[in-house]
Amino acid sequence: MHRLRVMLNVYKQYWRINILTTLEYRENFLIWFVFTFIYHGSAVAALWIVLNRFPSMNGWTFRDMAFLYGMWMLAHALHNTFFSTVGDIPEHVRDGEFDRLLVRPLDTLFQAIATPGQVFPDELILAVITFCAATWYSGVVVDATFLAFVPLIVVGGALIDLAFNLVISTVAFWFVRVDALRWIVVQLEQEFTRYPISIYSRGVRLLLTFVVPFAFMNYFPARFFLHKAHEHAMLPESVGLLTPAIGLLAVALAYVFWRIGLNRYSGVGH
Amino acid sequence: MAIIEAVGLRKVFRSLERQPGLGGAVRALFSRTFVDKVAVDDVSFSLDAGELVGYIGPNGAGKSTTIKMLTGILVPTAGTLHVAGIVPYQNRMANAANIGVVFGQRSQLYWDLPLRESFELLRAIYDVPRARYLENMKHFAEILDLERFLSTPVRQLSLGERMRGDFAAAMLHDPKIVFLDEPTIGLDVIAKEAIREFISMVNKERGTTVILTTHDLADVERLSRRIILIDEGTVIYDGSLERLREEYGTHRTLVVTLAESYPELAVPGAELESRDHNTVRLRFDRRRLTAEALIRRVTERYQIIDVAITEPDIDSIVRRIYLEGYHEGVVGAPS
Repeated sequence: MHRLRVMLNVYKQYWRINILTTLEYRENFLIWFVFTFIYHGSAVAALWIVLNRFPSMNGWTFRDMAFLYGMWMLAHALHNTFFSTVGDIPEHVRDGEFDRLLVRPLDTLFQAIATPGQVFPDELILAVITFCAATWYSGVVVDATFLAFVPLIVVGGALIDLAFNLVISTVAFWFVRVDALRWIVVQLEQEFTRYPISIYSRGVRLLLTFVVPFAFMNYFPARFFLHKAHEHAMLPESVGLLTPAIGLLAVALAYVFWRIGLNRYSGVGH
Repeated sequence: MAIIEAVGLRKVFRSLERQPGLGGAVRALFSRTFVDKVAVDDVSFSLDAGELVGYIGPNGAGKSTTIKMLTGILVPTAGTLHVAGIVPYQNRMANAANIGVVFGQRSQLYWDLPLRESFELLRAIYDVPRARYLENMKHFAEILDLERFLSTPVRQLSLGERMRGDFAAAMLHDPKIVFLDEPTIGLDVIAKEAIREFISMVNKERGTTVILTTHDLADVERLSRRIILIDEGTVIYDGSLERLREEYGTHRTLVVTLAESYPELAVPGAELESRDHNTVRLRFDRRRLTAEALIRRVTERYQIIDVAITEPDIDSIVRRIYLEGYHEGVVGAPS
């Protein structure tokens, strides 16, 4: 209990430092802010252009796809806001700063997550607005199930992101530089969360469901809320509600790998 | 009572063997061979609470590897280790609460923010009670003269000011033991003195155990009575600075300023060390020849204006040990 209070207090302090640092470089922050707008704006625009030519894609209209995108964007923004600094671990391993985390009386991963990464909740706020707009636009019924599950699903999606971020960062304990691996996974995620995975071949679908479960970030939940389970019903509609469990499982597995990596870093057995 | 107890510490790193050149680098993509490098071979020492010890050795001797094991960053390959009753690698966090670490080349302060903000963060991390925090801050601000720049962003501080900030940061939680890795590197004379003053205060007034690794032996001379010399992963000397000086400092140097320049110069019993215009340096063994006798011999032969006797400095003693190795009860072999 005491330890939890300390961690909460530290987390608050880190966020204070994060906000103060971000505001110290106002121009830099504004450029990021504009970039965030352009980035997500152009993604939605690209969807609109594609679906303007073909009124629907495998039964998904632009309205459905807007919901699909909004859902991914919200989970992804939640990850970027609260967990993105996990991606800085390889850099700290390389320049020796990682040792600093190890000589402090707090869990190493907690510190890596809490460390200020100059993020502002701008992307998250934009994502909440986008998601609300997409929900209204797509005509999804906002009932008790929606209100109860969507927050959990979004957190679960962010945890899936975190799990991959952590696994890639952990690889750095062996290979030091992991930029190539990170680039591949980021591209994979961006590419395969834009469209319903039902448009892809069976192999890709299996990959995105069981190996790199990005489909649980938005496709399965969107399929549930948009009632589109009739197509390619390999799995029942309700798997769309499993995202929180999948997220927890992914993070748990990533954490086991992280512990192995930490042992490797401190040279256990050598 | 021993606060640090290291017995037979050993650390072996397994690393990829790198082959030279581009061809070697490409080959290494496909076939990898590993080599074991022994960084620390067999290090044993025991430190009492309140001691201030200099941990000295050339680059690559195993100093920082030892420190990393003591601080819980690395797990020893073999040997036993207790720091304030805790095995650092088994209970890293409990150990971390007991220690403070200053890496001279690296700062734990937030670059973009006023110094004060970093202290506030550390207060939260180490869970220092508010009253204790304020008391320490007041004390440190006084000794280290922090008040002037507490509100300045760290990036605008001079190296000396930043170092003082880093010292205060490492001491805020009243650690039982502090590890100082090259704490005075790159500092000017005044800043060095301020830091040494602070280390001495922390050790004397608070009874904090201090382990100091440095290349600047003036730090050690000024601060510690005991030094541990390490080379190639083993302890080659552990004892007082005086004993080392006594064993290795059998030779003195007589510095003579001559009234005129003599083309040929020789004094029996002394060795001409160097000569710069009319100033000559004569090295002699103080057990074979007294300084008084040597001066007499010089004055018998030459006209002199001034004389001075210099003791060997710790730098030259340690340099000799690195080169020749340490031998117990060595008789100052002429270099």
